Amino acid sequence: MDIGFLAQYVLSGIMLGVVYAMVAVGFTLYFGVLDVINFSHGDVLTAGAFVSLATYLGLRATGIDSPVVVLTIMLAVALATMALLGVLIAKFFVLPLRHAPPFITLLITLMIGIAIRESIRLFYPSGSNPQSFPQLLPKTAYHWGNLIVRQDTLILIVTGLVVIALVNLFINRTRAGLAIRAVAQDGETAKVMGINFEWVVLLAFALGSALAALAGVMNGLYYNEVNFGTGLMLGIIGFCAAVVGGLGNIYGAILGGFLFAFLQTIVVVAVPSLTAYKDVFAFGVIILLMVIKPTGMIGEVSSERV
Amino acid sequence: MFSTDKSPGALPAVLGVMAIAVFAMVLLRIHDQWGLLALGVIAGIALLLAVRTGAAAHFERAFAAHERLMNGVVVVAFLGVIAVLAKQDFSLLILSTVLLYCVACMGLSVQLGYCGVMNFAGAAFFGAGAYTAAVVGGHTGLPHLLVVVAGGIVAGLLGSVLLLPVLRTRGHYAALITVAFGILFRSFLEVNNTLGGPQGLTVPGMSIFGWSLNKGLAIGGITLSFYVNYALVTLALAIVVYVVTRRLERSWVGMHFDAVRIDELAASTFGLNVQGLKIMAFVIGNVFAGMAGAVFAMMTGFISPTDFDFPTSLVLIAIIMLGGIGNLWGILPAAAFVLILPEKLQFIQEYRFLLYAGAVILVLLYRPAGLFPRRLRRHFPAKAVSRT
Amino acid sequence: MSALLSCHGLVMRFRGLTALDDLDLEIRRGEILGLLGPNGSGKTTFFNVVTGVYKASGGRIAFESQDISNSSPQAVYRAGIARTFQRSRLCLPLTIFDNIMIGNARHLNHGLWFNVVRRTPLRRQYEACWEEARELLTIFNQALGTKLLKAAGSVSMIDRRRIEVCRALVSRPKLLLLDEPSAGMTHEETNELMDDILAIRKRMPELTIVIIEHGMSVIERITNRCVVLNYGRKLCEGTYGEIARNADVQQAYLGTS
Repeated sequence: MDIGFLAQYVLSGIMLGVVYAMVAVGFTLYFGVLDVINFSHGDVLTAGAFVSLATYLGLRATGIDSPVVVLTIMLAVALATMALLGVLIAKFFVLPLRHAPPFITLLITLMIGIAIRESIRLFYPSGSNPQSFPQLLPKTAYHWGNLIVRQDTLILIVTGLVVIALVNLFINRTRAGLAIRAVAQDGETAKVMGINFEWVVLLAFALGSALAALAGVMNGLYYNEVNFGTGLMLGIIGFCAAVVGGLGNIYGAILGGFLFAFLQTIVVVAVPSLTAYKDVFAFGVIILLMVIKPTGMIGEVSSERV
Repeated sequence: MFSTDKSPGALPAVLGVMAIAVFAMVLLRIHDQWGLLALGVIAGIALLLAVRTGAAAHFERAFAAHERLMNGVVVVAFLGVIAVLAKQDFSLLILSTVLLYCVACMGLSVQLGYCGVMNFAGAAFFGAGAYTAAVVGGHTGLPHLLVVVAGGIVAGLLGSVLLLPVLRTRGHYAALITVAFGILFRSFLEVNNTLGGPQGLTVPGMSIFGWSLNKGLAIGGITLSFYVNYALVTLALAIVVYVVTRRLERSWVGMHFDAVRIDELAASTFGLNVQGLKIMAFVIGNVFAGMAGAVFAMMTGFISPTDFDFPTSLVLIAIIMLGGIGNLWGILPAAAFVLILPEKLQFIQEYRFLLYAGAVILVLLYRPAGLFPRRLRRHFPAKAVSRT
Repeated sequence: MSALLSCHGLVMRFRGLTALDDLDLEIRRGEILGLLGPNGSGKTTFFNVVTGVYKASGGRIAFESQDISNSSPQAVYRAGIARTFQRSRLCLPLTIFDNIMIGNARHLNHGLWFNVVRRTPLRRQYEACWEEARELLTIFNQALGTKLLKAAGSVSMIDRRRIEVCRALVSRPKLLLLDEPSAGMTHEETNELMDDILAIRKRMPELTIVIIEHGMSVIERITNRCVVLNYGRKLCEGTYGEIARNADVQQAYLGTS
């Protein structure tokens, strides 16, 4: 197998890993601060992609042309609106139910996800069809011998990695991040220490949702297409990745995301005839890992008082 | 207006059931949108009046107080509805589908409502039963009643294989597994041509002891729709599953299911085999779903992966949440609402998932026990009225 | 009196916190033992380790010459140890009868066939259990005995604690672990509860009880012997009178003068 061919897959695998990792970090944030599984996360990703698409169409109508400007505005709008959506979901649907059994929150977020997904399908013009996403990143390719690397892939990968690193820094090195970590470790004590519990939860949801929006836009830029159902699968994969890494653990989420992408890529590269089964395979391996290490590869972070 | 006497007479309950049966007969026969609107308005007003005057609560008490009688009355009511609709193919098909979904939802109730085991792949297990019927019924000589059982067994086995690995982990792992299975079941079938692929499979109609259900009964010169046969079979299945589930609930096992759901840790310190109980609940629920799926396949004659996709699993969950989680009787009106309404009101067909999601969200926020909350357990209510 | 339960060198560590530190403790058959100590001294942790909720980081526990150090909670229950919880852990949506019967799993028939098909024998078992539950509950509170079919969440906090004790007693355990059973009760209610426990003890003279309590009058009145824990270790043991006079104990509870 020639190295260029292999490298292609490696790069697309990393690209996938970056997207999965961003989604997984969101799940882990929500679980960390509130012990909740938020199944609307994947659909927030889709909504973010569609909002940015709509922004693009709006901008194009007003004649603004420069890809950099357009992309920046698209991102800004998508991230801001999704952060707001995340906050609304947290404030009106998740926080009020935080004393109910966890299944209830899981279910309500699942339903919210459906509502978002169906709304996109029903109310976005021809929403049930895949929408083409603009090509805003340079598609010129570098040639290194047999290796062909597209510029947009590189940009996306680098952006994704930088963002993940920034989120990591935010959580571990800033005061707001410290507040999030405090609440994640022990909400009651955090409250007693003067941390505004609700504000921290909303911040976590805003952050997670903004990440989802970014992942959605990146996904759209890479495949040049968005679909109302994209978020469902990405959400499940992200959740899976977060669980296998250890819910509540940011490093675990990142690791899980890349692991899942790696598993999918392995199938496509090593056994191309089974490409259709790549998801089944990846899930299967992940489940195996969960059986071996039930609290996740790095370790779940939560506690119960007996 | 209605007094709260200790043991209400049976009459209000019987009248109530008859009124509902008449409503169902009319609903299933009407196709004209204005007629439906009128029916909806009348029903809405009647319901409002019933709740306001306390008649609804009275009905509920009477219903619960005369259980044996009411079970019989409900069966008679069903037979009455089937008789009235005896020549309406489509109405009977909907009625049968509602009953089959009720069976699958009773299974879901055992898993989720009693034992707290999450299952977001209800439709996949239903589908497993359906495909088993297609394969076994179509290619072996196994009698069709056993094919139905086989559908249940396959679904049960499939479920235990899925759940066993993650039993020792927290609840959301089961959620993850079943969500993944629910989503991947359809794509797995579509990729796989041995099971018909995306085009699906045809399924031979059911025949019991040589009598083919696909031939309409001829009574006194009138040929009835052959769906009458299926309606009777699905009614029989629903009755059997109801009785088993009800007895399960009213037993030590049902009590232990509840204990596991409410407080696993305390349950374990009192000797309850938490993993064993969860597996038992999961398997039982899936067996029900599988059997219902097998009958569904033989009734509709043709199945494809899209019948058993993730949104359908979510519909099953929506039904038990709306009906009242853990309440068996609530399943029937909820299933009827969820399945019949979009068929009749064509304009909401497209929007139905959005509507279901919205309804469940409202229920979860404001009435999480559901529209018909579950009652306290009385292991042997029939004769224990004299006990306090 | 012979040892019913004994532990040697018991250690329980939670990621940096050592809750039980090389604990040696013996529970003698037939006694009522008071387990005392300031908050955080490891009393509830000890219960949790004994009942298999936590797996000890080190040391051994023997119950009736059977090693239960690594036993699951289910195995510990089957061996004959039952408990109540510091934070009340009843199934509030279930009836009081159900709550008590959950504690009786050892004597109930769990088979699926029995429960679904053989309804007549099931009914007989049910009626026998009904009588048992009612009798037990009536010892603690006459009124409660008539409320078996009410939801556990519908009665007062005090009654719920009583129900929890009944739940632990119904299986006729050999060892009963009570974790602050009188928490939240008034003086009179506490006395009543202790009367009831002593009444139970009369009916089941072979029952051994370990009780975690903070009220000194309760300890004095009801226990044969006391063990005081501090920082996960045994500080001292003896009768109430002996430990009350012990200087280390006074310091642990009250600090140096």
